[in-house]
Amino acid sequence: MNQLIERFQLCIAEGNGTELAEIFSTKAPASNPGLFYDLRQGSNAQQIEDYIHYTITPRNGFPFDSAEVNAWTEVFVNYWKAVGELISLHESTDQGKLRDGQFGEVYDVWKAYTNSLIKHHNSSVLPFWTIPCLYKALTELRTYAIKADEQSVNTKGNVTFNTGLQDDIVSSVGKNEKLEDYARVLNRVFNMCLQDRAPIEYSRKWGTYYTANLMFKTYFKLNAISLSKNMVQAINAQFDMPPLHRFPNSEIVTFKYYIGVMTFLREDYVQAEKNLTEAWQLCHKSAYKNHQQILTYLIPCRLITTHKLPTSELLSPYPRLQALFGPIAACIRKGNLAGFDAALSAGEDEFVKRRIYLTLERGRDIALRNLLRKVFLAGGYEPLKEGQTEADLIRRTRIPTAEFAAAIRMGLGADGKLLEDDEVECMLANMIYKNLMKGYISRERAMVVLSKTAGMAFPGTGV
Amino acid sequence: MAASAPGAASTSKAVASDAKDGDTKDVQKPIAALEEDDEFEDFPVEDWTEEDTQLPGGNTHLWEESWDDDDTNDEFSVQLKEELKRVGKK
Repeated sequence: MNQLIERFQLCIAEGNGTELAEIFSTKAPASNPGLFYDLRQGSNAQQIEDYIHYTITPRNGFPFDSAEVNAWTEVFVNYWKAVGELISLHESTDQGKLRDGQFGEVYDVWKAYTNSLIKHHNSSVLPFWTIPCLYKALTELRTYAIKADEQSVNTKGNVTFNTGLQDDIVSSVGKNEKLEDYARVLNRVFNMCLQDRAPIEYSRKWGTYYTANLMFKTYFKLNAISLSKNMVQAINAQFDMPPLHRFPNSEIVTFKYYIGVMTFLREDYVQAEKNLTEAWQLCHKSAYKNHQQILTYLIPCRLITTHKLPTSELLSPYPRLQALFGPIAACIRKGNLAGFDAALSAGEDEFVKRRIYLTLERGRDIALRNLLRKVFLAGGYEPLKEGQTEADLIRRTRIPTAEFAAAIRMGLGADGKLLEDDEVECMLANMIYKNLMKGYISRERAMVVLSKTAGMAFPGTGV
Repeated sequence: MAASAPGAASTSKAVASDAKDGDTKDVQKPIAALEEDDEFEDFPVEDWTEEDTQLPGGNTHLWEESWDDDDTNDEFSVQLKEELKRVGKK
C-alpha cells in the first residue's frame, strides 16, 4: 500500500492526472506483479480505511482539506475492495474456471469504485484535473459490463426470466442488463461534464467528448443508436462549450467517426461524408483498424454522394475491405448488372451486419449509369460535315432505345431475357430523373436524345 | 463457408480450396475472430500532430476521379460492342 500512496502523492504534487489514473489500475503493473496480493494481505476494509485516512493528511504533506481526505479515502477503499474481486477474476481466468456471474460481481465492485469518483467529482471535491481516473474507471467498467452480459447469456440464457412476460421484453431485459446499467452511469457523468459551470480552465466540460464517445460506443452496442442523437443535441445546445478542435485528436476522430456513422444511418450522406472524411484525415497513421472502420462507411457514402469508387491503392492495405467491396466495386465500374446483383446477394449477411446493405444497393444506379455510358461511347461520333475538322467532332447523341435495351439485357445475363421494353424505358427515365444521364426519351422515334454539350450527357464522367 | 465475407471469394478462395480436404476450421476461425470486433478502437495515444496523420502514399489518388482509363477492351465491353452491332443491323 505504501508504494501506491507514494506514487499517489507524487501525482498529486505534480498535478498529473494521466499518471494518477494509472495508479487505479485493473492489473498489477508488470514491474510489480505481486502488487495486488500485497495490497490485500494483512488488511481488511476497516483497517484500510483508517490507514488511508490517517496517511493522506496535510501532516504528511498532502495538500488536502478534510473533505478531500474523506473523498480520496472512500475512493481508495472502494478500489481496495475491487482489487479483491480482480485477484479472484485473474486467478479464475488463468485456471480457465470462471464462476457463473463472476464478471457481474466484478462489474458491481468496479461500479462502486467508479461511483465514488463520480460522487466526489459531482460535488467538486476532487479537482477537475483528476478526471482521467474517471475516464479509466468508466472505460474498464464498460468492458466488465459487456463481459458480464455475455457470461449471463451463455450460462443461463433468458429462460429463467420467462414468467409470462412477452418474449421480446424478456430477452431485451436479460440480454444487456449490465450494459444498460452502465449506460445510466455514463449518462450521469456526461451530464456532470456538460453542465459544469466552473471557469473553463478548471471545467469538467473538457470531459464531455470523452464520455460522449463512450456513450456512442455503448449505444451502438445496445442497438439504441437513436439515443445518440439526443446526446449530440445536448452538446450542441451548450453555448459555452469549447470548440471541438481544442480537444485531443483521439477524441475528435472518434467523435467524428460516430457522428459520421450516425448520419450515414439516417441517410444524410452529405453530413456523413464530411464527418467521415475529417475523421479519416485526422486519424493516427498507425490506427489500422480505425482506418478500416472509417472506410467501411466512407466507401458506400461516397458512392452515393460523388459516385466515386475507391481505387485499388486505397483498398490494397485492407484485405478485409477488399473482400467486402472489391467485387461489387468492380461490377459497378464495369456496368455489370448481373455481377452487381450477385455480389450484393453474396455479401448480404456482411453488408446487413454493418448496416451498409441499403446504401450499397443504391450503387446499382451507378452500375447502370456506367453501362449506359458504355453504349454512348460505343456509339462513336457524328460524321464530319464539309469544312469541319477533328476538333468539331461531337458524339452521336441520339441513341436508339433498342441499343440501351440490348445492353441492359446483356448486362443482366440470364434475367435479361425477361426484361420488357417498357421496363427499359422506365430505367432510362429514372436515370434522367436522378440526373445521372442528361437528355430525354423520344417515344415516337424510339430514341434517347442526350445532351450535346461536351461532358454533360453523363454528368461528372467526362462525356 | 457460410460466414465468409462477400467477396472473400477473391482473397480466400485459394486458401479455402486448399483446406477443403481437412481442417476448414483453421480457415474459418480468423474470419470469425475478425467479425467479432467491429468497434472503433481506443487510440493508444491521446493526442498527436499533423505529421502522425500522414499515411504512407498520402491521401491522393484514393478515389477514382478520372475516366481516361476507360477500358473498352475488357471481355464485357467487347461483348457489348458485338451486341450493339447486332441490334444496329436489325
